[in-house]
Amino acid sequence: MADNGIGASVPRTEDQRFLTGTGDYTDDTALPHQTYAAFVRSTHSHATFTLDTSAASGAPGVVAVLTGADLAADALGTLICGWQVTGKDGEPHKAPAHPVLAADTVRHTGDAMAVVIAESAREARDAAELVEVRYSPLPAVVSMQDALAEGAPQIHADAPGNLCYDWEIGDRAATDDAFARAHHVARLDLVNNRLIPNAMEPRAAIGDYKPATGDYTLRLTSQNPHIHRLVLAAFIQIAPEHKLHVIAPDVGGGFGSKIFIYQEETAVLWAAGKVGRPVKWTADRSESFVADAHGRDHETHVELALDADGRFLGLRVSTLANMGAYLSTFASCVPSYLYGTLLQGQYTTEAIYCEVKAVFTNTTPVDALRGAGRPEATYVVERIVDQAAREMGIDPAELRRRNFIPSDAFPYPTKVALEYDSGNYRLALDRALDLAEYAGFDTRREEAKSRGKLRGIGLSAYIEACGIAPSQVVGSLGAGVGLWESGGIRFNPTGNVLVYTGSHSHGQGHETTFAQLVSDYLGVPFENVEVVHGDTEKTPFGMGTYGSRSLAVGGSALVKAMDKVIAKGRKIAAFSLEASEEDIEFGGGNFTVAGTDKSMNIAEVAFSAYVPHNYPLDELEPGLEETGFYDPANFTFPAGTHVCEVEVDPETGVTEIVHWVAVDDFGNVVNPMIVEGQVHGGVAHGVGQALLEGCAYDADGQLLTGSFMDYTMPRADDLPDLTVETTCTPCPHNPLGVKGCGEAGAIAAPAAVMNAITDAIDSSAIDMPATPQAVWRALGG
Amino acid sequence: MDLTGEFHVALPREAVFEALNDPEILGRCIPGCQSIERVGEHEFDADVLARVGPVKARFKTRIAVSNLNPPESYTLSGEGRGGAAGFASGSADVSLEAADDGTVLRYTARVQPGGKIAQVGSRLIGGTARKIGTDFFSRFVEVVTPEPPPEAGKPDEQEE
Amino acid sequence: MPVNVSMNVNGRAVVEEVEERTLLVELLRENLRLTGTHVGCDTSQCGACVVHVDGRSVKACTMLATQAHGADVTTIEGLADNGKLHPMQEAFRENHGLQCGFCTPGMVMSALDLVARNPDPTGGEVREWLEGNLCRCTGYHNIVKSILAGASAMRGGS
Repeated sequence: MADNGIGASVPRTEDQRFLTGTGDYTDDTALPHQTYAAFVRSTHSHATFTLDTSAASGAPGVVAVLTGADLAADALGTLICGWQVTGKDGEPHKAPAHPVLAADTVRHTGDAMAVVIAESAREARDAAELVEVRYSPLPAVVSMQDALAEGAPQIHADAPGNLCYDWEIGDRAATDDAFARAHHVARLDLVNNRLIPNAMEPRAAIGDYKPATGDYTLRLTSQNPHIHRLVLAAFIQIAPEHKLHVIAPDVGGGFGSKIFIYQEETAVLWAAGKVGRPVKWTADRSESFVADAHGRDHETHVELALDADGRFLGLRVSTLANMGAYLSTFASCVPSYLYGTLLQGQYTTEAIYCEVKAVFTNTTPVDALRGAGRPEATYVVERIVDQAAREMGIDPAELRRRNFIPSDAFPYPTKVALEYDSGNYRLALDRALDLAEYAGFDTRREEAKSRGKLRGIGLSAYIEACGIAPSQVVGSLGAGVGLWESGGIRFNPTGNVLVYTGSHSHGQGHETTFAQLVSDYLGVPFENVEVVHGDTEKTPFGMGTYGSRSLAVGGSALVKAMDKVIAKGRKIAAFSLEASEEDIEFGGGNFTVAGTDKSMNIAEVAFSAYVPHNYPLDELEPGLEETGFYDPANFTFPAGTHVCEVEVDPETGVTEIVHWVAVDDFGNVVNPMIVEGQVHGGVAHGVGQALLEGCAYDADGQLLTGSFMDYTMPRADDLPDLTVETTCTPCPHNPLGVKGCGEAGAIAAPAAVMNAITDAIDSSAIDMPATPQAVWRALGG
Repeated sequence: MDLTGEFHVALPREAVFEALNDPEILGRCIPGCQSIERVGEHEFDADVLARVGPVKARFKTRIAVSNLNPPESYTLSGEGRGGAAGFASGSADVSLEAADDGTVLRYTARVQPGGKIAQVGSRLIGGTARKIGTDFFSRFVEVVTPEPPPEAGKPDEQEE
Repeated sequence: MPVNVSMNVNGRAVVEEVEERTLLVELLRENLRLTGTHVGCDTSQCGACVVHVDGRSVKACTMLATQAHGADVTTIEGLADNGKLHPMQEAFRENHGLQCGFCTPGMVMSALDLVARNPDPTGGEVREWLEGNLCRCTGYHNIVKSILAGASAMRGGS
């Protein structure tokens, strides 16, 4: 292995700028003559309203006050949902209009009604307070049960009963049959708590418009700048695609929340055209809490049928999924195709049936958040498996082993429409149990008891589907986009390389990982490789970064481009070395005539390609630059086992995580250090969900957890040191054999924590977040 | 949440009831009240400066009196709109009971915050509302109670 | 009412005219264009804006610019010496103590104040000290590791 090649823990290239305070986040940019936007947001969760903007318009520094009426006058489109889910009845989901600025009705607190543009951020904020809003409150529905109840207030006229869709997957009859044959049935009602994403960098955008050319530029916090451009051009119709330049510079974390096309970024771009000057908006954290799409929020009833040996005969799942007030960009596919399809878990469960009702409520829209559907699925499966183990008196690890898909059964067709590509679930479980010293747990439990503490251990054997694909399949399931990726390789004449990717890095370290990949594959020194991303005018059209897809899909696209570069290089080398193309071998950055010492380095080939003084131009084109597009044959399926050990203080209900082991199978790994970091972060996100983070609304739809004072983010002393290892069954269908690692921790962790707590307190009557109060109550306090 | 309180006023019920409908008196009793004017027989508009935790705002407040049952009971309700800070609405059922030396005033109040006040101040709204309620009625008692005759021999505080 | 404030920022004397309500972080980011100091919240919780004022870590979103009048202010931009990373910065790089980089300046500045007070902290002490600094990416594991390594390097250890 080269020091900087595939498999090396190379320190990150991007760190130099981040560590010296010279990163380039959206809010760090100040364009000449820029103005500032402040939004007027609804304080009611459901109301009709009228606006009086006269005082605001006349306030100091105000350039413009724009409202829904102005949008209507410009005939702009509404925000869209890009995935159409078809319900049981064969009808498409309901996707009511989501205006960029509400025109006459607001449907959640924080819904934007107007935007004030002023010379300074302070003046914009001051003037926004002067916009007079006259509300006529309407009855609000906050809980999903209330929203579905007979006679409930209607949020959208075109979504009767507040139902977005009623969807199903699996075989109902076969599942019913399995339950009829069951020796034992375990049952649970579970709440998967609503989370607020809280990337540390709040969303921001700067719109710019050049009247002379008609060119728009939008600089924003995006995980997928080409998707932003596509939607803003094709659906909102602010400018055609070729007149819209979207830049996503350094982005301070996304976790899904920066995939979506929101009201604010759209309004800022439009407003720049209206006022003819750059318009900048940076969310304050209070806005992020109400305006960033939330995550999760499921209520589920699950039943597992087992035979006398504990084999899983059938799994029956019924879920209510909260969509919030409008259908966000990819909201519809999260509790359906990213959830129901993962209910096989790691097991040979013989029959599965799942139905999901997606429900509108007067709350902030809900969409994909780190894991997106898959944490919810793993939580359901792993909680019910533990419940069954407890009820049947079988060790939870043993029950899992009995039901694992054996390592020789791949590819494994699931009962819920997927085909698992590769895996060795037992290997990861056994390694995790070793690392966690599972065998000695009883001694530790007794020792804890002597100190008055309740000790518990919990497993989570999770499955994940990354790199959603192929386009043909997702298209048939209702996706409005393809899910391929692009990659470009440009050799400069001096032999260094620019790498263009449609993926976007917002913490993942692609500038390093992709450079390692290219350096290794092409035999170019690592420091001679520069990765370019996040700019629609520099990179080929690409789909962006989410769903742990970047290396599996974006990396594979780069491989395709590099293969083209090598093929072209082979032609050039054959010509230069006066050999036949078939005799040219490529390795270690050199093109060599087989069986000779005649050789050309790829840098020399590149130079030759740009100085083609003697090229036979009818046979050989100058230049060395290629683009590849990769559409995967299948998802990848990372999996593994996490083990969490906790101590609960029965006096206070406080849970302390005392030990964490993660053993994950991500296929091949390019940079182990970065992969470990991704696992750490994912676990923290999942621990946050399990112990701390709970979004709460009151009965009127007021968000009660709207700041870091009320919404508990995981802090350093909430977490222990983490033991992280990997196993490897390479992905068989992408050229790198890689699977994806960004979400695994968030998927695995919640069930591991809750299984540990239920083990400690010997009760399953507890939901997330397991705050001290919740644990204390579950203990009968 | 319901907030309750009880005060003793050294005035007959009728006088207390009348004072509770006097905008001038209400204005002096509402904490942070900058101005108040009558806009209807039983409606008043007030301009109130208030603070809930970290959120401080000027509330345009419509105060209404309803369920009039003189001199025994009535309902005092208010809806304050604080612009970007959000809103707070509340009502208090007030009952007056004749006592030997005046009137016992009892109230049960409810408060509903909205917008940023709910978002960042929800933990604090109970305490704030309780304080506003207590301040209002204790000031009311102070304002309407006739001045007691000066106590003989007590030094004039002004000269201290 | 604009007021003049003067201070030393990263060893350079600056004089700026600001509105009285201007926060220190606004002065740094907007007037001085020192955009390494970040704003991640509006309730003084996240710590992305931590700088040093007269050697002590301060949340720059919670201090008026006028309160730093006459003070020595150090921001993340003031740590590296001619492009050579400070040992604490280097420790973050070597130990993958950052991902998206947004909380990083606050983490580094906060860590340096800890080490100034406690040159040889334990992992537990580091975790407790970071009570006022939020990170969504790293799960803190590698931040703690980085700070322990940085403290060791600053003590002259390997």
